[in-house]
Amino acid sequence: MTSGRTITCDALVVGGGIAGLQAALDLADQGFSVVIIESDLSIGGKMIRLSKVFPTLDCSSCITTPKMASAAHHDNITIFTWCELQSLERDNTTVTARVTARPRYVDEEKCIGCRKCEYACPVLVPDPEQGGFSGTKAIRIPFSNAIPQVAALDPEHCMLCGRCARACPTGAVDYLQQPRQFTVTARTAVLATGFEMTSPGDRPQYGNGTIANVITALQMERILAPHGPYNRVLRPMDGMEPDSIAFVQCAGSRDLSMGVPYCSRFCCMYAIKQAMLLSGALPLADIVIYYMDIRAFGKGYEQFYQTAKAMGIQFVKGKVARLQGLEGGTVAVHYEAQEGEGVSVDNHDLVVLSMGVVPHWSPEGICRVSTGADRFIRTVRPSLSPVRTDLEGVFVAGAASGPKDIVDTIAEAGAAAMAASNYLAAVRQQG
Amino acid sequence: MSGSRQRKSDRVGVYICHCGGNISDHVDVEKVRADVERIPGVAVARTNMFMCSDPGQELIIEDLRQGIVDRVVVASCAPSLHEATFRSAIARAGANPYIYEHANIREHVSWVLHGDKATAKAEKLVAAAVGKARLLEPLDPIHVEARRHVTVIGAGIAGMTAARLLADRGLEVVLIEKSPYLGGHAARLDRVAPTGERAADLVSELAEAVLEHAAVTVMTSTRLAGFDGYVGNYDLRVRPVLAGPAEDRNGYVPFHGVVGGNPPELTIKTGAVILATGFRSYRPRRGEYGYGDLAGVVTLPEFIRLFSAAERSGDCLVLDGRTIRSVAMIHCVGSRQIPGIHEEDGDGRLNEYCSRTCCSAVLHAACRIRELFAGTRVHDLYRDIRTYGRGQEELYERASKSGVLFHRFTAEAPPLVEPGDGGETGDFPLRLTVRDGLTFGEEVRMGVDLVVLATGMEAGDIDELVAMMKLPVGTDRFLQEVHPKLAPVETSVAGVFLAGTAQAPMTIGEACNGAAAAAVKAASLLGRGYVELDPFVADVDPALCRGTGDCLQACLADGALEMVEVETEEGAARQARVIAARCLGCGACVAVCPTGAIDLKGWSLKQYEAMVDMIVADIPDNA
Amino acid sequence: MACRDVEGKILILATESCAYPGADSVGQAHSGYPANTYILRVRAPVMFPEHFYLDCFAKGISGIIVMSCGEECPWEGAYKALADRIDRVYRMMREQGLDIRRLRLTAICTVCNRAFLKEVNQMNEIVQELGPPRAQEAGAGDACAEDGAGQGNNQESP
Repeated sequence: MTSGRTITCDALVVGGGIAGLQAALDLADQGFSVVIIESDLSIGGKMIRLSKVFPTLDCSSCITTPKMASAAHHDNITIFTWCELQSLERDNTTVTARVTARPRYVDEEKCIGCRKCEYACPVLVPDPEQGGFSGTKAIRIPFSNAIPQVAALDPEHCMLCGRCARACPTGAVDYLQQPRQFTVTARTAVLATGFEMTSPGDRPQYGNGTIANVITALQMERILAPHGPYNRVLRPMDGMEPDSIAFVQCAGSRDLSMGVPYCSRFCCMYAIKQAMLLSGALPLADIVIYYMDIRAFGKGYEQFYQTAKAMGIQFVKGKVARLQGLEGGTVAVHYEAQEGEGVSVDNHDLVVLSMGVVPHWSPEGICRVSTGADRFIRTVRPSLSPVRTDLEGVFVAGAASGPKDIVDTIAEAGAAAMAASNYLAAVRQQG
Repeated sequence: MSGSRQRKSDRVGVYICHCGGNISDHVDVEKVRADVERIPGVAVARTNMFMCSDPGQELIIEDLRQGIVDRVVVASCAPSLHEATFRSAIARAGANPYIYEHANIREHVSWVLHGDKATAKAEKLVAAAVGKARLLEPLDPIHVEARRHVTVIGAGIAGMTAARLLADRGLEVVLIEKSPYLGGHAARLDRVAPTGERAADLVSELAEAVLEHAAVTVMTSTRLAGFDGYVGNYDLRVRPVLAGPAEDRNGYVPFHGVVGGNPPELTIKTGAVILATGFRSYRPRRGEYGYGDLAGVVTLPEFIRLFSAAERSGDCLVLDGRTIRSVAMIHCVGSRQIPGIHEEDGDGRLNEYCSRTCCSAVLHAACRIRELFAGTRVHDLYRDIRTYGRGQEELYERASKSGVLFHRFTAEAPPLVEPGDGGETGDFPLRLTVRDGLTFGEEVRMGVDLVVLATGMEAGDIDELVAMMKLPVGTDRFLQEVHPKLAPVETSVAGVFLAGTAQAPMTIGEACNGAAAAAVKAASLLGRGYVELDPFVADVDPALCRGTGDCLQACLADGALEMVEVETEEGAARQARVIAARCLGCGACVAVCPTGAIDLKGWSLKQYEAMVDMIVADIPDNA
Repeated sequence: MACRDVEGKILILATESCAYPGADSVGQAHSGYPANTYILRVRAPVMFPEHFYLDCFAKGISGIIVMSCGEECPWEGAYKALADRIDRVYRMMREQGLDIRRLRLTAICTVCNRAFLKEVNQMNEIVQELGPPRAQEAGAGDACAEDGAGQGNNQESP
């Protein structure tokens, strides 16, 4: 393991999702040098994995790829993917990040993204980028529009057969690649570390993830994506075209017993969007959204909701208490209807859970910024400057400081860039 | 038409995108490729799953670098999404980005057609694009000096935030406000939900910052009277707001007097404009939930003002000497209106949107009442509680814990507010009836002393500004951004940005983020002291211009064309000349030139004629 | 060749700031419309001289819809100049014996999906009825056509 080099820049952006990309672009466009470090194999974050986005129903990839490409090609931006942030410290006017580049087992400089390794690899594994619904190989480019287009080997599944190394035209496969350390020093940092979703795996009322045909909303995004696992809408258990699909809202939020007492903010809108896309794909299917309150608060969102109602999507006010797998893959939804007969049961072919939104990254032990009771990064001026943390010179953008939809995230990323550039201007004046 | 200056390219590269099936599920992309490759002038035609991805772009770059192609056509989604992507890819290959033409075969083909018809239409559109591409010429952006100066219109929270940030960033800022005060609507609040901060503190902090900042000039009681110029170089005429009807009058104004001289008018030379014109609080119609007819029905802003003046002692809230034993707060007044259910306003409009901030504002007020006055009952009548943001759900919890009574109604069955009749609901001046969704649709009657209407936000009264600056307005009547994700604070007018609630309902925090996002765009635009403009301007062919001056007559811009004396081989002659930075690129001159001497760069008439020729021509069929 | 032309080609000149994104919006809604439509993106249709329209008909275009921004045109005065020009083209079409219903000036906004579909379908019916353009058409110049084809403003009100 080498002690590694040091890279110096004006601004460090932690996270290469839409928040980080936008913040980086807004800084770089002003002439500041920016380094983005990203924990994943590709930049693009959650957004690049989505099908279409509300309320315009633009294809998500079409909105994300231009930002990914302009960041990747920007003269003032350097991107490091597949990295782990070991520490982020601030001392006077310098921010120092110690970073570990994890091994891809493929030399980034040599790989030309031709995928010959992927074609040669004999090991089939479930594709995490397709919700696990389709197969991929143990060495692969993570997904079609990933940036960078560099293959990575999955050591958990690789059998070291050597076929990929033999197939590689540039000799890029390196089974012995080691983690590398490097240091980034900057004047300011923007934390854009995003969110993760809770898993149904530890939710007994939803079957602990064992009921067939109960999937998460992110899995549904993949099913609906234009380049998704099935190229059409099928339920995963038996490939049947579902006639009846249910969305369970607040399946992990607004409920202290699930550890997420707050509202996850964008689930109502994506459920409505998915319902609309489903009713386009399966015009005869019954689609029901079980909800507590529909939170369609953004620009054009309420109109989107009303359109969905007019399309015949059913909205049932009621809290879902329990899911039960029945024979033949049907799922029984037990719920307390707010209107009508109280406790009710309805059967559906496919159930989609809107899980809770939690922070993707915890600064604990890495960086001295503090978090709130909700574990998201705490902001100290929530009204006048929602991007300020309690660590001077370190700003936050997007879902790192609480669930936020894409529109709000992009605005906040611009705001973080503005705050960071003013901070940079001020420290430059101090010399 | 001579077309003397133009040589057709015969090295057009055509790149056709599958769009991951979005296109290739309906268009036979391979057939398009094979057929298009035989069109004269096409050097190569290629396909890719995602042409916008790096490997897709790499195909184009490689062909340009190898010299295989010198003009590029990409057939993919709408140009609004990826035209810029491909132009920048071409630039990365070291070529001129304007040798590019886009064929829209997704929105205009594969999403509206299927089968052979889709494939045939895609071929025609690609062929037309090839026809144009063969005539494209390299262009250079127009370099325009830009003033490092921004004018912010509106001194509410968003406007003051933008002004302060830009001044800190080193730009000169003028902040214009039509009222005598800084602070906008926030100054009419007491405490801010959900943080509980005092609005007065927030307004004062920002106002102090902008008033004391050496780089900010604050102009209150000032309005915009004229808007002229172009990005980087706008001239804004501003005028004081006068109290009477003197604005447009000279001499004696009945019942006012004689206008004392001309109100001073000032021209601000600025590089960019940020619109932070805010919102207007919804005024309920007379009789809406009894408003204006029944005493004790007030709007939330009215209530906030009354409440802030109330004594903080006693068991019950007392407002204006009236003891409030029970208050009902009704959500969604003037928001979430539904055609066929709600009554349209005088102009036939409905506010179909959610006003976003009212739920938390109501809950905050409800908590304050319950926590200070245990004897005052609070009923909260809502459709959906939208406490979406950080700290907001906690506010909802707090309201429940503090004993606020919730009732849920539907848009179809809104609560009824009537005068109390002393009957079953007791001796209250008002009686409220609601079908309560929380008790399985039971009809609930309650007596109350006060009804508070949670009125929403409406677009501000800025019709004059909209007309003057030609601003885009959405169906919700708020100012419209170019795209909610790709260009969320940009308007279709270059160098004019949106901040805060001029764009949509927002909380203070969201408005500050919006303002800062607008500020960062203005800082990027003007930071270098120059901007680069699209080169799509009129261009005169001196070989053809006979100096008729028809183009000057037709020109829609001020001073974009002029007649100059030139020396030609036949001696002195008059010819038209274009002043590029002022040319709007509309092409009005093109249509009137009797000799076809003037054309629009990048969008020329000859190129359109070539496109039509390709559309009517037969494409050689592979099949 | 003859078989293809039965369909009749419709040229649509759609403004970059209004009608072209309007057509994109129709696509995003996946609303089908006739295949014989060819949408060209224009900055402002005011750039096209009278002869451009007549040349198109001479080349075999059966119908032209000018989808402008209407009164919301970003260029002040452009819409008026365009409307005047289209009137002149109508006169010239009559002189040539072309049915003036083949040319229509309308305004389409970025979300005017219904108006867009209505215009396209109407023009398609007209070109199906009239067939390929030729001089001295039966319906040309009659009173009905004169006010039938006038200028429409189809901006959907919010």
